[in-house]
Amino acid sequence: MICTRVKWLIFLLVIITLTSCTFARGNNSKITVTLSGWQSSPNESQLLRRVLQDFEAEHPDIKVKYEVINQQYMDVIKTRLIGDTAPYVFYLDAFEAPLLMQNNVLEPLNTYINDEFDLSDFIPTLLNAFKSNNKIFGLPKDFSTLALFYNQQAFEAAKLTQPPATWTELQQYSQKLTRDWNGDRRIDQYGLGIIPELSRQSFLIKTFGGTLINQNGYATFATPEGLKGLQLIVDLYRKYRTAAQPSDVGASTGSEMFGQGKAAMVIEGSWAIPYLKETFPKLKFATAELPTIAGKKGTMAYTVAYVMNKRTKYKDAAWKLIAFLTSKKGMKAWANQGLVLPSRQSVIAELGYDQNPLYAPFVAGADYATIWQAGETLPTVLTHFNNQFISALIGEQSLNEAMERAQVSANKEIAASQ
Amino acid sequence: MRRVWQRGRFGEGLAGFSFMAPTMIVMGVFTVLPIAYAIFLSFHKVRILGEFDLRFIGGRNFWRMLADERVWIALQNTFEYVVIVVPTQTILALGLALILNSSIRGKHWFRIIFFLPTVTASAVLTLIFMWIYNSNGLLNNILAGFGLPTYNWIGDPSVALKSIMIMNIWSTAPLYMIVYLAALQDIPKSLYEAAKIDGASALDQFFNITLPFLKPVTFFIVVIGIIGTFQLFDQSYIFSAGSGGPNNSTLTVVLLIYQYAFKSLDMGYAAALALMLAAVIMLVTVIQRTIFKEEKLH
Repeated sequence: MICTRVKWLIFLLVIITLTSCTFARGNNSKITVTLSGWQSSPNESQLLRRVLQDFEAEHPDIKVKYEVINQQYMDVIKTRLIGDTAPYVFYLDAFEAPLLMQNNVLEPLNTYINDEFDLSDFIPTLLNAFKSNNKIFGLPKDFSTLALFYNQQAFEAAKLTQPPATWTELQQYSQKLTRDWNGDRRIDQYGLGIIPELSRQSFLIKTFGGTLINQNGYATFATPEGLKGLQLIVDLYRKYRTAAQPSDVGASTGSEMFGQGKAAMVIEGSWAIPYLKETFPKLKFATAELPTIAGKKGTMAYTVAYVMNKRTKYKDAAWKLIAFLTSKKGMKAWANQGLVLPSRQSVIAELGYDQNPLYAPFVAGADYATIWQAGETLPTVLTHFNNQFISALIGEQSLNEAMERAQVSANKEIAASQ
Repeated sequence: MRRVWQRGRFGEGLAGFSFMAPTMIVMGVFTVLPIAYAIFLSFHKVRILGEFDLRFIGGRNFWRMLADERVWIALQNTFEYVVIVVPTQTILALGLALILNSSIRGKHWFRIIFFLPTVTASAVLTLIFMWIYNSNGLLNNILAGFGLPTYNWIGDPSVALKSIMIMNIWSTAPLYMIVYLAALQDIPKSLYEAAKIDGASALDQFFNITLPFLKPVTFFIVVIGIIGTFQLFDQSYIFSAGSGGPNNSTLTVVLLIYQYAFKSLDMGYAAALALMLAAVIMLVTVIQRTIFKEEKLH
């Protein structure tokens, strides 16, 4: 009994000494800036840590505390914003930006930006994703568009030399590429791997003049124009049976099914390039811009920005960090890993991404891409769309019925939450 | 005399309360207060991001439930899950307990093996099962090997919930098996011996001695099982990456509460949904109690 009491006392003393140590350190003149983001690979955060070391060397009075949040990033950030424990600087996906911009939790950056920073160098569509009422709330750190990956060995075997340039060609190619090698009537190689999510398909809604969400935040995709684009995907999957989802072939992502040779073509972002090179070194593949649909080019673009928490204690230090990370120098150090493309035009040119045959289609896509963002209600619309689109894809109901239901239930929920 | 007695009693009461104070304070702060706050929130429209803002809206959150299609889907999924999982896992647990209670060889090893899934964390189990359920995974290969039909266990809306059911039955039945096993060993051997002398067959013994003796334990297992299955969350969360898909087929009430609370940040409505779930569970438990009590009278 006494023994445990002594143990507790020692434990308490240790804690007191430890905490007083941290207090003592806090009194030092160094300012600590907190930074949070996610990582798609351990390499990525290692690289960022190196960039942060450069920053600390340049600003000896600022210390950066970097934390990786891997699971359910936005849920964590939102909860921390509410609890007032959010980091000063954090990653924000364009998709979630409207909610945070509307709710007044981000610091507008206009007053901090000077001429030297060269704002006009950023690709305008990316920057616009983080603008609201003429205020800039975030500076895009990088982006990716979608392009067509094709397996050159599979193309050779099917006597195809060029990537498909139009969607009709894509349909024909995918028929030629769908193969059952061992004759067990289970298809071993599908023509195209698809991911039936709104984040990948929303440009198809626009192709024939449909719109995803109107100005009041209500879903409007279930129109004949909107469905015409989506029908293309459903046709490949159901009518021609030349497309497959990753889960159909036992893969977890599109790039995995492509790498394993279970799909000869797949529509993916530039992040798949380092993954494929590392995980499937023998795979021979190339990329091309997405095929045109009815003569029109289209693709998706995803972008992430650094934003500043409005309740930041040291705003100037936080801005210095953002400015460093999104400056030409900082971006160059960050973006040469090839996962994503730099959001500054000068850095794209300097790193030669627009000349690199693997990356050029992604850069070209930036000119005509649809940014994955559509107002505050997009997360609600997305849930209902994804649910019903899968149901249409596997043939439980027609696309028309499914999308009508998705739209009605999404709008009901939006109306109820207002 | 009486006064002294009362004073003594008061002192005793004070001592009793002070011993319980730590638990009562902890319970009060972390259980009673949150419950009270949840009830309070459920009558409000809450804005928590940015400036905190509360607006009294009466019963609107509760009316909203009636028109919310996803609430009905979630309730239906949850009921389906409870109705299939609870009886199956209870019968399976009883069966396993009976086998292990008999004198088969190596029953200690079987006990350990059967109990392993319960010790494993459910998140880990779910990840292992996702691998087993994979379209080209272990289960489909075994099924194909026997010439049986294969399924897209995770991706097909009509089987996704059943995949979770199978996994959960497999992982929780052993826990209840242990409870049954302990209860079985409490039944006096002499009863069986007497029954044998009277010429009762093994089946007669089971239905007239074993089952009646296990009734209190069965009540416990069914109640705990129902509460546990009504609160299904982590498995369907991991299976569907938080969406409740494909096509709402793995959407459970708790997952829906999570989505409204942390994805849509609609705390008022989420609190109302949580109260609704609590009411449903209470109702079911009360119904069970009356059923079991009635039988006790006989």
